[in-house]
Amino acid sequence: MRFQDISLRKISDTAWEIPQAGGMLVPGRIYASEEMMGDIVRDEALRQVINVAHLPGIRSFSIGMPDIHWGYGFPIGGVAAMDPSVGVVSPGGVGYDINCGVRLLRSGLGIESLRPRLPELVAALHREVPSGVGSTGDVRVAGKEMDRVLTEGSRWAASRGYATPEDVEHTEDQGRFPAADPEAVSATARKRGEDQLGTLGSGNHFLEIDEVAEIHWPEAAEAYGLFPGQAVFFIHSGSRGLGYQVCDDSLDRMAEYMRSHRIVVPDRQLACAHILAPEGERYLASLAAAANYAFVNRQLLAHRVKETVERTLRMGPRDAGIRLVYDCGHNNAKFETHEVEGKARRLLVHRKGATRAFPPGHPDLPAAYRAVGQPVFIPGDMGTGSYVLAGAEGAMRLSFGSTCHGAGRRMSRTQAMHSARGRSVVSDMERRGVLVACASKRTLAEEIPEAYKDVSAVVDVVVRAGIARKVARLKPVAVVKG
Amino acid sequence: MTRRRHRLLPHTADLCVEVRGDDLPSLLAAAAEALFSLLTDRRRVRPKERKILPVPPAPPEEQLYLLLRQALLLVSSERFLVRSAGATMESGSVVVALAGEAADPARHELFREIKAVTRHALSVRRDAGGWTARFIVDV
Repeated sequence: MRFQDISLRKISDTAWEIPQAGGMLVPGRIYASEEMMGDIVRDEALRQVINVAHLPGIRSFSIGMPDIHWGYGFPIGGVAAMDPSVGVVSPGGVGYDINCGVRLLRSGLGIESLRPRLPELVAALHREVPSGVGSTGDVRVAGKEMDRVLTEGSRWAASRGYATPEDVEHTEDQGRFPAADPEAVSATARKRGEDQLGTLGSGNHFLEIDEVAEIHWPEAAEAYGLFPGQAVFFIHSGSRGLGYQVCDDSLDRMAEYMRSHRIVVPDRQLACAHILAPEGERYLASLAAAANYAFVNRQLLAHRVKETVERTLRMGPRDAGIRLVYDCGHNNAKFETHEVEGKARRLLVHRKGATRAFPPGHPDLPAAYRAVGQPVFIPGDMGTGSYVLAGAEGAMRLSFGSTCHGAGRRMSRTQAMHSARGRSVVSDMERRGVLVACASKRTLAEEIPEAYKDVSAVVDVVVRAGIARKVARLKPVAVVKG
Repeated sequence: MTRRRHRLLPHTADLCVEVRGDDLPSLLAAAAEALFSLLTDRRRVRPKERKILPVPPAPPEEQLYLLLRQALLLVSSERFLVRSAGATMESGSVVVALAGEAADPARHELFREIKAVTRHALSVRRDAGGWTARFIVDV
């Protein structure tokens, strides 16, 4: 089968291969259903899978998840694993919002008991949790304290009373990338990060109250502390301006490195440097620092959510029962051990709009989840719902321990704005049973439910491929957006 | 200010902008205005302050990229919004003057956060009708 000039071979119900050709060092591998390919081929995402396959040191496949869509350099929903001895690291394989990710907080509350207080609670969360463009947080850090945030991640939050030991344990990599070096972060980036800790941001970032609508795998749901009818809180945010600046700063250095080392790639946004070169090491040190900032940002957001819920509902921590299920990033590059051609190898895994999904028994998982696998959260559009998955064995064989990260956009922001014109998105959402509080109506219009692919179809692909297992389906009841 | 010199082109996740100008300086000025039109309603921005952004000699694509990065930093570091832009060229360097003011939440709605101006698919073209540039911003 061919789409434009791209050759595609269907290798199973859920997998497609772009054969290795030209300068590609490995084939492309897309996980998607036949129906989904119709959306995927409409933009440049497949071309970007091919471009990534040209990067030095890439192993096995250049991978696209079912929520793949057009990004810059790498596609969003892209995974690429590099051999550190010969391979490169590319900021385009991580994205500007370094360690953007999601965390899920469970509660001891049933959604029905909460429903009469929802308008009050949503208003309080919108007021108390800083969101929107240019929002600033209450916790300002600079100088040595910023160094600690960038170096220690969630442990800094715990040392300041914003996190419990369980929060740290239930965060990917215990909320800390150890390679972080604050010296590798520019003064501009640090400045941008000084007043943005504990802020949601705008665009597709959100705070959501959901109901656990359906349990698919009771054993895993029990391990994650989830039960039907439960109120849970979903947070999506990243490393804010500090992370954007780290990425931006690195692109110039990478471009210079490529010129001096005569590395030629098909797209300028695939700027890269060898992992072991000083330029590569410096980027990884700054990336780790920004990732730690993102962990702290989401931890502070969670802390504020917990405080606001308890205060609004006049409940103590024990009655509200708000605890972190897990926090996982979806824009990262980090070293992990994976099997390639029958041998365990240490690889640098880029995940851009893709989530780590380690299977049961993996040593990097918290003890509480080791029997069932890593919790993975797949937010859908704000009107339909989201999924809680667990990493499965197939992820290690098929996708370097990775799965999708969301529904994936199918409509441009301009199209979404046109589609939303003349109607009230807030009223539409209320008719669907979802309360909305937002800083910008324009952002809301860009994020209308129909702008996204069907999250159930996306999840169905990774489940059928054996990459993840369904644990629970969540239904939104309230959304706070920037 | 009233003449529309930019339009949005389809892009799935981010925003792809096309701008036009009679010459390179006016193209760069139009690009700066387009960037701020993505952020706010420029008609509500008062031209109280001027910021001068120097763009050194370089290929036009690079000049566009350098200018837009500097302009975006004004928003993130100083919350500066732009009403209008003008540009002059001398010995290959372009000097862009931005007129505007610091964002005032009471008067300025900020539409969205722009994470970065990207080099992806960035282009500057010259033809008989003038200059055209395209760039993508990550939102």
